Amino acid sequence: MENKAYIRGQKELREEVHDTGLCTGCGACVNLCPYYATSRDKTVVKDLCDRTAGRCYAFCPRTPTDLEAIRQQLFEPQDLTPELGAVKGFYLTRASDPDTRSLAQHGGTVTTLMSLALSEGIIDTALLAEGGGSDLPSGVAVSQASEVSKLAKSKFIAAPMVEAFNKAVLSDAQKIGVVATPCQTLALAKMKMKPFPKNDSQIGKLRLTIGLFCGWVLSWRSFKQLLDQKIDQRKIVSLDIPPSKYKTMQVETNSGLVEIPLDEVEACVREACKFCTDVTAEFSDISVGSARLPDGWEVAKGWNQVIVRTTAGEALMQLAKDRRVLEFREVPGGNLDKLKQASLKKKRTALDNLACKSGDRDDLLYLDCRDPVFQTFDW
Amino acid sequence: MADISNKTEGLADLLLGSEAIGRGALEGGVNVVASYPGNPSTEITEAIRQVAEKMNIYVEWSVNEKVAVETAAAASFAGLRGLSAMKQNGLNVALDFVSGISTSGSNGGLVLVVCDDPSGITSTSEQDSRPLARSLDFPLLEPGTFQEAKDMTRFGLELSEKIGRMVLFRSATRLQHARGRTLLGSLPEEKRKAHFDTSKQYVAFPSLPRHVEAKERMAQAKELCKDSAFNVYEGPENPDLLIITCGSCYLYALDAMNLLGLWDRVGILKIGTVWPLPDDLIKTHMAKNSRILVLEEVEPFLEGNLKELAVEWAADVSMPTFFGRRTGPLSDTGELNPDIIITALTEILELTYEARPPAYDQQAKAMVEKLVPPRSLALCAGCPHRASYWAIKNAEVLDTRDGFVTGDIGCYSFGLFPSGYSIMKTEQAMGSGPGVGYGFGKLGQFDMQQPVVAVVGDGTFYHGALPALVSAVNNQSNLTLVVLDNGATAMTGFQPHPGTGLDAFGHPAKPVLIEDICKSLGVRVEIIDPYDSEAATQKVLDFMNDEQQGPRVLIMRQQCALQMARSGKLYDVWVDQEKCVGEDCGCNRYCSRAFKCPGIMWDAQAQKARIDEAICVGCGVCAQVCRHEAILLKPLKAVQGKDS
Amino acid sequence: MTKHALQKDPLNAIITGVGGQGNVLMAQLFGRALTDKGFAVTVGDTYGAAQRGGPVSSHLRISKQTLYSPLTPSGQADIIISLEPVEALRVLGGWGNPGVVVISNTRPSYPFDVTSGGADYPALADITAAAEELAQKTLFIDASEIALEMGAPVLTNTIMSGLAVGLDLFPITADDFIAVLKNQFDDKKFNLNHSAFQKGLDLAASNKWSD
Ligand SMILES: Cc1cc2nc3c(=O)[nH]c(=O)nc-3n(C[C@H](O)[C@H](O)[C@H](O)COP(=O)(O)OP(=O)(O)OC[C@H]3O[C@@H](n4cnc5c(N)ncnc54)[C@H](O)[C@@H]3O)c2cc1C
Ligand code: SF4
Ligand code: SF4
Ligand code: SF4
Ligand code: SF4
Repeated sequence: MENKAYIRGQKELREEVHDTGLCTGCGACVNLCPYYATSRDKTVVKDLCDRTAGRCYAFCPRTPTDLEAIRQQLFEPQDLTPELGAVKGFYLTRASDPDTRSLAQHGGTVTTLMSLALSEGIIDTALLAEGGGSDLPSGVAVSQASEVSKLAKSKFIAAPMVEAFNKAVLSDAQKIGVVATPCQTLALAKMKMKPFPKNDSQIGKLRLTIGLFCGWVLSWRSFKQLLDQKIDQRKIVSLDIPPSKYKTMQVETNSGLVEIPLDEVEACVREACKFCTDVTAEFSDISVGSARLPDGWEVAKGWNQVIVRTTAGEALMQLAKDRRVLEFREVPGGNLDKLKQASLKKKRTALDNLACKSGDRDDLLYLDCRDPVFQTFDW
Repeated sequence: MADISNKTEGLADLLLGSEAIGRGALEGGVNVVASYPGNPSTEITEAIRQVAEKMNIYVEWSVNEKVAVETAAAASFAGLRGLSAMKQNGLNVALDFVSGISTSGSNGGLVLVVCDDPSGITSTSEQDSRPLARSLDFPLLEPGTFQEAKDMTRFGLELSEKIGRMVLFRSATRLQHARGRTLLGSLPEEKRKAHFDTSKQYVAFPSLPRHVEAKERMAQAKELCKDSAFNVYEGPENPDLLIITCGSCYLYALDAMNLLGLWDRVGILKIGTVWPLPDDLIKTHMAKNSRILVLEEVEPFLEGNLKELAVEWAADVSMPTFFGRRTGPLSDTGELNPDIIITALTEILELTYEARPPAYDQQAKAMVEKLVPPRSLALCAGCPHRASYWAIKNAEVLDTRDGFVTGDIGCYSFGLFPSGYSIMKTEQAMGSGPGVGYGFGKLGQFDMQQPVVAVVGDGTFYHGALPALVSAVNNQSNLTLVVLDNGATAMTGFQPHPGTGLDAFGHPAKPVLIEDICKSLGVRVEIIDPYDSEAATQKVLDFMNDEQQGPRVLIMRQQCALQMARSGKLYDVWVDQEKCVGEDCGCNRYCSRAFKCPGIMWDAQAQKARIDEAICVGCGVCAQVCRHEAILLKPLKAVQGKDS
Repeated sequence: MTKHALQKDPLNAIITGVGGQGNVLMAQLFGRALTDKGFAVTVGDTYGAAQRGGPVSSHLRISKQTLYSPLTPSGQADIIISLEPVEALRVLGGWGNPGVVVISNTRPSYPFDVTSGGADYPALADITAAAEELAQKTLFIDASEIALEMGAPVLTNTIMSGLAVGLDLFPITADDFIAVLKNQFDDKKFNLNHSAFQKGLDLAASNKWSD
């Protein structure tokens, strides 16, 4: 049987990804060459390229991918779990610095880790997302630890972080750290596999990937229309999704909290997210998401759940502990299990959706039905 | 272009068909020539223009064809002789007036030369103008040779004056763009003065009695053309086959007759006074022939009328077998040529003919197939339209709403083809870009979400876009209109238009500026240099997303690259062979494959891009297109505003 | 029969090139020279939208008295003069025959289809070999190079004209053509064209046909 990870050109990328609604807008195909651009949360083909094999196709997280090969190459076998990928450690953390916490989405763990990596020289460039509300986010490069907190908080529209990475590798940056959604961490992981011998030297500059837990992102045009109906967008401070039982999106504005029913928001979810099997950013060094605590959401939202996956991730966590920039709290029993269940749920839905789209259970489009992880649960 | 004012009578000159018509107009004492440029008619007016000042002839390039015919008609009403020349599409623009003057009649000799374009080589249609002569009661002349082109023009002016009706003169591409020996006639001494006889009226209403009068004038014309030397028969007394033909097919038919050696079997009746038809002459020949092949461009106009006559004459002439474009074996579309006629004749007469040995023929065709690349027409190197289309294309892609371009006629029609990124999705007539774009802009009511960019050339803006723009303001149509302003009617050879500030002779004229017109309409209007690629892209995007109601006009202004080729390069341009990525992933010849300026070529040996110095006009746009900073520029002269 | 009599009636010459190369003017000048000599000449130009990189051919039909059509029937060319090498082949493909003679400039003008990556341009050696195979005799010369040396690439057509006259392809003398040049241009341009024409004549004297 053919290896799933074959490489084609732009034509196939258009036909298999752009035109089918699978494109995540990650931007892995952008800035490699002049043929693509990101515009209004979409990845667009500016001109036709007739190469029969290219990096655009090779790096895209939605072209055929051998996930198992990547797991084997990037992680230590003993850490691998079917539900959550590699788990070296599972923590509850928050920034020790209250200012960081107040600026951050949840506990400020991501901001803290990125600042630390910069100030310790682990990286010289951090790629973070800029934007907010229904603004179109973009990926920006930051080289000062003090600038990281200015770009805190979650942007719920896809920010083309891999596009920013492709741009950064062409600059003076030598050691790059990226905050990325799961699909984006997969794109970066595909780059690490060096599938395109002639042009793969740049990936060595990637030193740190912090993945965000992610259920979905929203499509810009429809979400903007939704917000237009509900609020004056200039007043938005931040958005958040509390645990699913609340069934709302919370919009914090400078004139108070506005709640939007979750089903209205979910109608704006990007089509591509229906086909995503990863909730915890399995291909990162460290993954960070919101916390679940017995004390309820009001307390929990000040903390993060963190999965450490690689030795590089482990080293950074240790450093954060040593430098006391992160506070740790004991993880309540059952949290990891709940996360595993949430992860499996997303995997099941995505596989069902993929099989439904292809019309064939054995054809999972960009994924391989023979993947060992997919054999471990029913779908 | 030949000087057509030579006084030596009887001299054999080598004249273009267009020049022969111009010379005929001079010999016919023309006073006023008003035209609109358009292939293949342009050179007629150009030839006259070149000698007009010394011969006291008024020549103008009118704003459009209707105004052109009206201008020539005014001369006729004032007792002068007038001529107007245009292509077949142009006749349609003028048609409302042409229909009116068919009933109102005219005074001094008035000829409308319409140049059809069989196969539509440089046109949007291969429309045959001849049926109009029948439906609107105009005499129609159609020359078969260069000599006739000249003589008929003169005759047309005289005939028109005699019957008080405009005369249509039909030419076609092949004659217009060919030269042949023409014997010159005398130039008139008479100097006419313009005076309108106020005891007369030239009015189209009441139309019925005027129509009756028009029919009487046509009868008069028929009488006058009865024995015309423009209708000639050559061939045996009783041939096997009679060819009846008119116009440029005549010379093809002669070629075919010569090559097949048919002069003792086949006769040719060439008709020059195509409408009204010389019935008596035709009847005489029809009576002697049982088989008739009709050769004409393009519609079976002659064929149909001949069949009609044959039915009328059924009592005394036995019905011949007809061959032609309607009956076959000829196709009812496309230009004829000697080869097609040879094939038709061999079929009808059951002959065999080999142009060259079959083995050679095969070898020659295989060679072309194997070695000769196609040579598609493309926008010139450095063309500002390419730069504009590049910006519009990029803006449309970035806009992500599946926008498109409506366009029309001019060099910028290359927007239809790969050279212009195939971004133009509608193209019909002069000014139809704005007109159709305006219509799309009103479809919001039906949930039309796609942004529309209409493009129009500067000349075409005056010719046919103004009514659409006025309507767009008036009815608040959501339209981005881009005027591709290269300061010239470049397609037809740089005739002036109302914006250029020059008249037909290059003398100063009062300019009417596009931006002033737009401002007076209260429309947002801005001017940008399309060579400034990124700024132009962002500007188009901004215009497309302008939330205010109604149209907005973006003028993309930059001189035509042909002018630039004359006035000198802006930049020295070369490719840094080290930096060029070539065909590797990361570029894949973006400059030549995607941007497609023909000034950039591919050095297959080095596997790098190269600038073809002989073709590049040094506009510098490709340097902005290359992401690898491999295309380098050195300014050669003060580059306006961005001198470095 | 003298050297400058018409070898065949009609004599069909096709002068070809790419828009902007000046073959239309070249054909017109030959037409004039021949008309002045009393021949009945038709010159037909075939092109699409002029000056936009498409192929342009002028058909010269030369006869003692009969007027021929502006389009040469297929396979009937006696002479092909080309300002661009593949254009020589294109015309040869349609109008060539075993008796045709071909003279051509060797400097390629790459079609849009080639520069934009959709088609290949053949090697010069393949072009000349194909022409030699199909024509009675051929002569390929880099006239553009000489024109560039003279500082004006536009002179290529006049050099080729000199070559054609020097090879006695037409029933006219060098002086006949020079007279037409004199009529056509102002003094400065005439002088340039005259020396370009002379270069063409010299080329004719020093080059051999390949057959
Ligand atoms: C679209 C989206 C969906 C999410 N869904 C879930 C979920 O279902 N469950 C869950 O537990 N957590 C989810 N998260 C993660 C959560 O919202 C927080 O980002 C996470 O808990 C980290 O919190 P923090 O306080 O450490 O973040 P902060 O310290 O505020 O730092 C957040 C960092 O992420 C970067 N960032 C923000 N938005 C994006 C983006 N769109 N793409 C890439 N980088 C970005 C910012 O630049 C900043 O550096 C989601 C995040 C996003 C962006
Ligand atoms: S194949 Fe390479 S050059 Fe072509 S579009 Fe893809 S990344 Fe760009
Ligand atoms: S998922 Fe990413 S790499 Fe794939 S097509 Fe979309 S933007 Fe490009
Ligand atoms: S500078 Fe570049 S774009 Fe402009 S004409 Fe030359 S090759 Fe073409
Ligand atoms: S010049 Fe630039 S755009 Fe052209 S092939 Fe080279 S790198 Fe690519």
